[in-house]
Amino acid sequence: MTISGIGTGSALAAQNAQALVNLQNKLDQLTQQLSTGQKSQDYAGLGSQAGLTVGLDAQLSALTGYGNAISLAGTNIGVVQNALSEIGSLNGAVVQAVTGSAPFTLDSNGQTTAQSGAVSQLDGILSAFNSQSGENHLFSGSAVNQPAVASTDQILNGNGAQAGLKQVIAERAQADLGTSGLGRLLIPAAAGSTVSISDDSATSPFGFKLAGITSNLTGAGVSGSPPSMSVTLGSNPSNGDTIQFSLTLPDGSSQTVTLQATTASPPGANQFTINPNVNVTAGNLQAALTTAVGNLAQTALPAASAIAAANDFFNSNPPQRVAGPPFDTATALVNGTSANTVMWYTGDAGSTPARSTALAQVGPATTVAYGVRANEPALSNIVANVAVLAATSYSPSDPNAAASYAALTQRVSANLNGQPGMQSLSDIQAELANAQSTINNAKSVNQQTQNTLTDMLQQIEGVSSDQVGAAILTLQTNLQASMEVTGMLSQMSLVNFMPA
Amino acid sequence: MSLIDALSTAMSGLRAAQAGLTVTAGNVANASTPGYVVESPALVETASGNAVGVDVTGVNRTLDQLVQSQMWTETSGGSYADAAAQLYGQLQQVYSTPGSAGAFDKAFNNFTAAMQALATSPASAAAQTGALSAAQQFAQSLNGMSSGIQGLRTQAEQGIAADVQQANAAMQRIAQINQQLTANPAQDATAAQLEDQRDQAITQLSQLMNIKVVQSGNNQVAIFTGSGAQLVGTQAGTLSFDTRGALSPGLTWSADPSKDGVGTITLTSPGGDTTDLIANKSIQSGQIAAYLQMRDQILPQAQGQIDALASQMAQALSNQTTAGTAVTAGAQAGFSVNVGNLLPGNSAQITYTDAGNVQHTVTIVRVDDPGALPLPSPSDPNQQVVGVNFTGGMGSVVSQLNAALGTQLQFSNPSSNLLQVLNAVPAVTVGSLSATATTTSLTSGSPQLPLFLDGTTPITGAITGAGSQDTGLAARIAVNPAIVANPSSLIVYQVGPPTPAGDPTRPNFIFNQLNNAQLTFPAQGGSGGQSPPFTGTLTDYLSQVMSQQAQAANAATNLQQGQDIVVNALQQRLSTTSGVSIDQEMSDLITLQNTYGANARVMTTIQQLMTTLMQAVQ
Repeated sequence: MTISGIGTGSALAAQNAQALVNLQNKLDQLTQQLSTGQKSQDYAGLGSQAGLTVGLDAQLSALTGYGNAISLAGTNIGVVQNALSEIGSLNGAVVQAVTGSAPFTLDSNGQTTAQSGAVSQLDGILSAFNSQSGENHLFSGSAVNQPAVASTDQILNGNGAQAGLKQVIAERAQADLGTSGLGRLLIPAAAGSTVSISDDSATSPFGFKLAGITSNLTGAGVSGSPPSMSVTLGSNPSNGDTIQFSLTLPDGSSQTVTLQATTASPPGANQFTINPNVNVTAGNLQAALTTAVGNLAQTALPAASAIAAANDFFNSNPPQRVAGPPFDTATALVNGTSANTVMWYTGDAGSTPARSTALAQVGPATTVAYGVRANEPALSNIVANVAVLAATSYSPSDPNAAASYAALTQRVSANLNGQPGMQSLSDIQAELANAQSTINNAKSVNQQTQNTLTDMLQQIEGVSSDQVGAAILTLQTNLQASMEVTGMLSQMSLVNFMPA
Repeated sequence: MSLIDALSTAMSGLRAAQAGLTVTAGNVANASTPGYVVESPALVETASGNAVGVDVTGVNRTLDQLVQSQMWTETSGGSYADAAAQLYGQLQQVYSTPGSAGAFDKAFNNFTAAMQALATSPASAAAQTGALSAAQQFAQSLNGMSSGIQGLRTQAEQGIAADVQQANAAMQRIAQINQQLTANPAQDATAAQLEDQRDQAITQLSQLMNIKVVQSGNNQVAIFTGSGAQLVGTQAGTLSFDTRGALSPGLTWSADPSKDGVGTITLTSPGGDTTDLIANKSIQSGQIAAYLQMRDQILPQAQGQIDALASQMAQALSNQTTAGTAVTAGAQAGFSVNVGNLLPGNSAQITYTDAGNVQHTVTIVRVDDPGALPLPSPSDPNQQVVGVNFTGGMGSVVSQLNAALGTQLQFSNPSSNLLQVLNAVPAVTVGSLSATATTTSLTSGSPQLPLFLDGTTPITGAITGAGSQDTGLAARIAVNPAIVANPSSLIVYQVGPPTPAGDPTRPNFIFNQLNNAQLTFPAQGGSGGQSPPFTGTLTDYLSQVMSQQAQAANAATNLQQGQDIVVNALQQRLSTTSGVSIDQEMSDLITLQNTYGANARVMTTIQQLMTTLMQAVQ
């Protein structure tokens, strides 16, 4: 208001005019409310609830943020789940190929159909590991800016000075076979009536490991304990008696060599001839054992060796290599380095749990962990077994090739079907599905909260156009009436009624 | 008695009617002149012998002086309320429209949302630059609010300067009229006109500041300030105001001229004495008081609020608290903690219980400027704050602490920068010791980072003799240039081993600190006075600040409306007695016309009588 000078006769008129102006201002304010939909253009106009709107705004902003996190995490989980189901179906295809009763026929690369198929299936699995959402590599743990795995070619064939899987398998094959071709076992000529068998080294991880001897030979005695044992024939065994030598292979599988005493000469496979001289019989037993172990070293051992090499290459960090050359006399594994070995997994390999490598806060107190690493046990197991199939090849002239291949496929198929107690692909899928469902719950809770808060904010900051419209109408009536009365009053002066 | 006597009586009646007509004409002519007080002719009956006549001695002003002096008092209040409401309205504009892009809290919400987005996709370069630019916008929004507030302070300062000039003009006018009335004591129309003008000048002055008006004899008025210093008598005093141009947050009013950063109002009396009207709180109302209150209290408080926001927010992101290690020495027990990385403004906290089992909190603040020591104690005696100068090395620190707290606690320095505290007497139990230091490195291995800097200085709330770093921080706060140059610093918190690209640790930390950290905001930023500090999240504080500001603005508007009603009522009362009523004047006119006619009729009758007499004599 303006304060006019005191004592002016026009004070009342001025106040009337001021009241009209105030009404006009109020009308302007209402019109503004109607056009902007907002109660006030400043915080003061919201009165005591001004502070509340600040809090509500902050909550709404956080909810929008949670919404963004939800949609990003949802997309990422979707991409990972797609990749995992792709990996699952490729895994299934490999298992089907190796368990089928296809005849053992080799192509020009020395591989069976299942093996050459495995190369492309490995390719598919590795591409799935490198799947991206936006710029992020989702199978790299927290190192989302790096691809998760190296290329198929590098993994199988190496990269310059870095050895690939094929080289690692070849080195391990030499180390497991040993110089004598007996898988690092020592079976010296019989001493009198005693046949002994022992590991070439108690500490070496390579070759067969003697696990035990079970003798049913009449009159024979077993002495010693792994890794060095012997059988002494006290008298000649009876025809048909058997003796079993249990061996552990590099991949942890067991194999038993069973030899049977026979009176036939020459003996059949896995038999030894009983000679009246018990010392000669012992010599026959030693010869039969050497033949049987040598045979096993050409069939089951290469398969188990390749599986072990693939485990060392894919499942340990850093990868384990045979200490050599020379490899055939090596007795230890050493850590591979990035200079001499291809690192198949190129993502983050920290100690945090894989899921925790990607976190999304999807609600005020809800955080979802959905990170994945390609080197998680379930995933690296699949890669290792498909890769070992893809990496091995056979010579058509090798008489043991078919048996060795059978030993390999039997192991690969067992491993790919999953081992009890080990993480499986479906475990990861289930965990991600749980994360997704947490996200969905958070999303609906957030949506409800957001609706409530928006409503509340609207009630504080907003105006109802009906109310404003009604207020404008009332004001209009007031204003018109005031103006009319003011006009009438201005005529009510004695001046107008005085005689001229 | 004779016919001639009657004739002269009739003549005096005609003169009186003419004078009345002049006054009525003047009233009608000035019906809408501001400050015009309705006048009436002063009529006196005269007698000479048996003849009774009427004489016009002058002109009377029809004025209710009681209402008038009330009016002046309320006018001061009214213009104070008007100016305050207007300035509060302008302050509200600094906070912008609720919910709009420029709103008070929008930049903060955008900042936290950007951190949230970054925590979800840490490796994304777009998210990193997005978070960085949101941080910059938040800093700029604080800068903008600060300059808005200081702009209003400058405006208030200039308003005071203009008001002081107006006040001087009004005071001189009043003194001048006082002198003229002394020279011409007659109660005539000229005097009435001078009095009208003087009242007008007093009204102007009362709009600017609260005054006391004392009427004395001979039509003189004397005007005093609220505290009793004379502004105007027959001579006018002079107000002077030393304007300081653009104001900044550090410039505040002080009675000590060497520390005063803003203008002050000085009254120089005609005799040459000077009085500081701000120091003795003379100006409590009127437009000048509103400007002063804005400049020295309301706006500095608003500045203090956003300064506290800037400081606490920056420190929430950069401060790292290390808990002490428990130690024993014989029967004594306590804690030790490394204080080597404390910067000025950083602190160590001790809790202990005394013999009466009362819990005490001691905050040891590093204050390297001896000019700022000792620090003022908080109102709660169980919360001690001790400022310690660290520049003299650990030995000096220990002796300062033992001097301040030695009766309960025993401090020592067992090795390098380790500070050890033990109970000095068996009845005391030391509960905890921790040190809070500001991280200055971007890759310290912890998620804390100096995201915001005060120019190039870390934000620690350092206290020096010149004041706290917090003062005006909102005007200076900026995003660390090293992070601007390398936005990946928002993710990478260590170099060996390097932080993985997708590691959300740091953005998660920032988001949590911004949203959930319980911070303590100094009382001056909250609601002023000795109230306890406000503890809450940044959003809680924003909310609290906005409530308080909105309520203050509403209170100012309500006061203005209330004061308007009072002033209006007084103005109406004054105008019913002192205003020109055209109807009244018209009816006076008719009366005067009749009086004039009647007097003329008397003269006609006398003339007829005279004629009759003459004819009789013929």
